[in-house]
Amino acid sequence: MLARVGQPAVDFEANAYIEGVGLKTVKLSDYRGKWVVLYFYPGDFTFV
Amino acid sequence: MAVATRYEQFKSLGVEVLAISTDSAFVHKAWQEQELSKMIPGGVPFPMLSDAGGKIGTSYGVYDETAGVDIRGWFLVDPNLVIRAMEVLMPEVGRNPDELLRQIRAFQHAAATGEVMPSGWQPGGTTLKPSEELVGKVCEIWKP
Repeated sequence: MLARVGQPAVDFEANAYIEGVGLKTVKLSDYRGKWVVLYFYPGDFTFV
Repeated sequence: MAVATRYEQFKSLGVEVLAISTDSAFVHKAWQEQELSKMIPGGVPFPMLSDAGGKIGTSYGVYDETAGVDIRGWFLVDPNLVIRAMEVLMPEVGRNPDELLRQIRAFQHAAATGEVMPSGWQPGGTTLKPSEELVGKVCEIWKP
């Protein structure tokens, strides 16, 4: 399924680093009830 | 990470930002400690997710298989987990967090009131209430 406005966001689970918390598993569906921005970027230690 | 500098604004709108790249969570940690914390006081304050293998990026259409990285894109997801907006850009042009914030405010206003925001709407600007009476009379209310 491809991302499309007006359609459900594909759920996922990922390992995450959270400042002040440490390493944690994050699941998109845990954020139900909140507005969320998924912010994709090419990589750490880059220039933009 | 331009969004990190606007963190307070995202927070005041009740928006959670999830930063996602193909780096491992350990690399995210190292980047925070070695670099980001020196550029942004306290470091990037939102979860940094590892999309190792590009599985998440693939489902959102932003994974570049040749380069093995997620290209720049953001997706606004509402409280029902429905995508309300998205923007994907080629590397030569960066994103504008102010535009993202404007769209979040507009979508939140629409969700709260049922009103719609004409093009170029800014918070406090004229909104439209869709109705039968409005058909053919938008120009009387909205003067761009």
